[in-house]
Order: sequence, then structure tokens, then C-alpha cells
Amino acid sequence: MEGIILALFVCLVLALVSKYLTLPAIPFYIIAGVIMGQAGLGLVASDQISSFFSDMGLIFLLFFVGLGLRVDKISENRSAVLTSGIIDLNVNMFIGFVAAYLLGFSFTEALIVAAAFYISSTAMAVTSLIENRKLMMRESETIIWLMVFEDIAMIIVLALLSAGDQNLFFFAAKIIFALAILYALAHYGKEFLVSILDRDDELPVLFTFVAVLATAGFAVLFGVPDTMMVIGLGAVFATTDPDAFEQHARPFKDVFLVIFFVFFGITINLSGNVSLYVLTVICILAIVSKLISGVLTGLYLYGSAKSGLEIWANTIGRGEFSIALAVLYGSPPVAVTIAVMVIVTSLVGSFAAKYSGTLLHGFSGRSRHHGPPPHRMRAGH
Amino acid sequence: MALRSLNLPGVGTKYEFETDKGDTVAIFFTKTGTIQMYTLQKGCHTPSAAEMTPVEARRLGNILTGAIIEADQESVEIAFSALADLRVTIHTYIVPRAVSGKTIEDLEIRAKTGTTVIAVSRNDKNIINPPPSFVFETGDAVLVIGETDQLRLFEHEIMVD
Repeated sequence: MEGIILALFVCLVLALVSKYLTLPAIPFYIIAGVIMGQAGLGLVASDQISSFFSDMGLIFLLFFVGLGLRVDKISENRSAVLTSGIIDLNVNMFIGFVAAYLLGFSFTEALIVAAAFYISSTAMAVTSLIENRKLMMRESETIIWLMVFEDIAMIIVLALLSAGDQNLFFFAAKIIFALAILYALAHYGKEFLVSILDRDDELPVLFTFVAVLATAGFAVLFGVPDTMMVIGLGAVFATTDPDAFEQHARPFKDVFLVIFFVFFGITINLSGNVSLYVLTVICILAIVSKLISGVLTGLYLYGSAKSGLEIWANTIGRGEFSIALAVLYGSPPVAVTIAVMVIVTSLVGSFAAKYSGTLLHGFSGRSRHHGPPPHRMRAGH
Repeated sequence: MALRSLNLPGVGTKYEFETDKGDTVAIFFTKTGTIQMYTLQKGCHTPSAAEMTPVEARRLGNILTGAIIEADQESVEIAFSALADLRVTIHTYIVPRAVSGKTIEDLEIRAKTGTTVIAVSRNDKNIINPPPSFVFETGDAVLVIGETDQLRLFEHEIMVD
């Protein structure tokens, strides 16, 4: 128990520092975890309590992913979600998988590295767009829908990975059945749900917490992956009052997720013996492959490589989802690789997003000498 | 002027419109609770942005509707462009001593001015839609709805000390 308190206190200090420096906090939590944990000083070890809290962090993260899945809104913007999403998926999954496989990871390990390599951090992208005042750019809409696509892709990856050796058809049927029950409960109990959410006592928060935990618990009992069910619960709740659920679940997510990140660092085991060479190659490729997919998307959607660079700058950072994959399915070498990749890309991404304006301004400043943009010529007539 | 609104998952709601002169204004209500306003001058490539708290944004909104803002008296004009440019103004007043002890009925507010008292704030408590029998006290903040001319009448006929 003292371990968690120490870890949380360190994280609190680091959160203050990272907010002050306007850097993402996730890499700091992981580094702190590694230093305090079994790979470092050995001050904090994971125990039953910490792993329970960590699980909560993951479950609430996924619940939020589910709350963000507004099926109606996504289908309204299908083309926006798909075009950029498919380029991003193909380029990054392919490069990630080939690189990991050639660097000596097994087939399954390479798949997990590739998935973690592909998924940018939604939280970091959104925060960077808001904090760097970039919401008005046309590229920011593309980036936001890209994140939605990635979330959906991650759910599919999670589903496939959690199926393991089971019969896929039977497994899918089980999940669909469980989701149908959730949907029916929310659909027929909608008035009850809304009446609970409208109260101003402790009930809305208690209800949200228990609903998420109970769903995870029942899922384990019935042999369906709790990750899927919690996302499903979020998506089903999103049909009632998603903003209220977000508000009630946010404190749990915020606190438990910090524990999740720091204990991911604490439990990292360096005995996997991943060479510095492998780590360097993966990190460089992680940055380069998003550059390729970003520029391709920019050219495809706007006919502009500059737009592509802007998309790239805001999607370099890998974060929460990559770590979730590492925790759920990663062997020790995979976990180390993903940890280093998250730390490097999130910091590089943060700087790129902050200075992309100045950087791109240099480009456009130079291109202006080659001739005025077409609309200015027309204005002259 | 075409107003476009859009829900951006994870970010919030966006409103954007282009003015007749070709400048663009975009407002974002972000999930973090702040409001960002961007303005992009025609022909420019980089917008300038301002981030506001909800209170600051409301202040800005009041200024833009042309209402005069004083320290304790504030008014908001709401224009419904879909309803033949229907405009209503809501104004706050502080009840003077001469009005204290009188009811809405005594003062004949509706008959004399055409305005309606829609709320009264007394000692941090709000009374919405007060009945005609409602008795004013000195220092009450009253919220009155009407057209600009009617409100001017209310200020000069009723709120006199």
C-alpha cells in the first residue's frame, strides 16, 4: 500500500511539472515507474491492490473509448473517417509489422508491436490541437476523425487478440449476444438511467462506477473479454447521456489511469534483453512511418504535403492505447519496446505539434517567392 | 452568412461562419470547458485565436449584441434570425427605495411599459416568474424582458427613486 502512495505522490509532482512545461505526462509516469520499480531502484513493487487499481485504469479508459463511439455521428461522417483512416492503418500497420518481424520478434509479438506502433494517442492529439490553438485548421478535423477510426481499429484488434485460440465464430456470437443484452438493458431502462443521472446526490457517480465494474466482472464470469464488454457498455450508455457519464466517470479514469501508467513502468522487466539497436530502429520508424502516412493523407485529401506535415506533427505521439496493448498482450521484450516507443514518440510529437506552425511557416515563406498563390492573381484583374 | 455547426468527437462543438467580406470566424466549445475563438482574415493563412472562460465568452457575447454593460446592470439581446429577425432584450435592474414594498400589480408594469418581470434575485436566491402579488424590496435585482423601447420606458417610469 505504501508503494502506491509513494508512486502516486511522485506522479502528482511529475504531473505538475509536465503541465508547467506543457508536455504530455504519460512518458514521465512511465520513466518514474521504471526508476522506482523492479528494473530500477526496487522501491515499489506491484501487489494485489496496485494491480486492481491498474485494471480499473484500463477499464475506465476503455469505457471512455466506448462513450466516444457515437454510432450515428460516425456514420454521418463515414467518408471523413474512412479516407484518412485507411491510409493511416495500412501504412503504419505494414511498416510496424515488417520492421518488428525483421528485427526478430515472433509473428504474434510483431502483430502486437505493429498495433501499438499504429495507434496514436487520442488524448495527446486532442490536447495538442486545443493547447496549441489549432482547432480551426482544416487538418484538425481530419486528425480528429483519424483518431475515431483508430479507436475503432483498436477495438477490432483487441477483439481479435482476446479471441486467442477460441473458435472465432463462436467467440463473436458470444460477444454479440452479451452486447445485445447490454443494449437491451440500456434501451428499456433508459428512463431509469436518465432519472439516476439527473440526481444530485452520490447516486450518479456510484451507479457509473458500479455499472462499469459489474460489467467487467460479469464479462469474466461468462468468459467474454472484459475489455470488449466495457467498451460496449460505454457505447450503449452513449445512446442515453454520454456527457453525464463522462462527467461521473472522469475522476476514476484520471486517478486509476495514472496508477496504470506508473505501474506499467514499475513492472517493466528488462531481462527481455531488447538491444538498443532494435529500440532505436523502432522509434525512428515510428516517427517516419507517421510522416509517410500523414503526407500521403495530406496529398490525397488536400493535394498538399504541407497539410500532411501538419497531420504528422499532431499524430506522432503514441500513448495510452499502445500501453494498454503492451499490458494486455505484451511479452517482456514487447513491453520494453512499446514503453520506449511511447516515451520517445510522445515527447517528439509534443515538440513537433508545438513548433509545426513555425516550421511550416518557413516552408510557405520560401514557396511564396516562387509566385503568388492563384487567388491573388485573380484579385489583380 | 452561413453558419456551420459540427460536433467533433473528443473535442467539442464547432461553429463557423464566413462574413460577407470573406473573413472567417470559428468558435469552439471544448470539452475542457473553455471556449476558443478563431478569426481568419480573408487572404490570410494563419488564424489568430483567443481562449476564454464561459464567463468571459458571455461577456463578449453581450458586447457583440450591442448591449451596454454596466457594473451591476447588464442586458442581453437575443436575435432569432429564423423568426423574421425577432429581437428580445433581457435587462437587469436594481430595485430603488421608492419601489420597495410595492407589488408587480401595484406598479402596473405590463400595462404601463409592456415589459415582463421574468426573475428576481434576492440575497443570492432566485425567484423565477414571480407572481403579480410579488412584493419588491430595496436592492432586489430584477430581470425584465421586452423590446429596447419598452425597457427604456420601464427604466424611466417604474425604476424611479
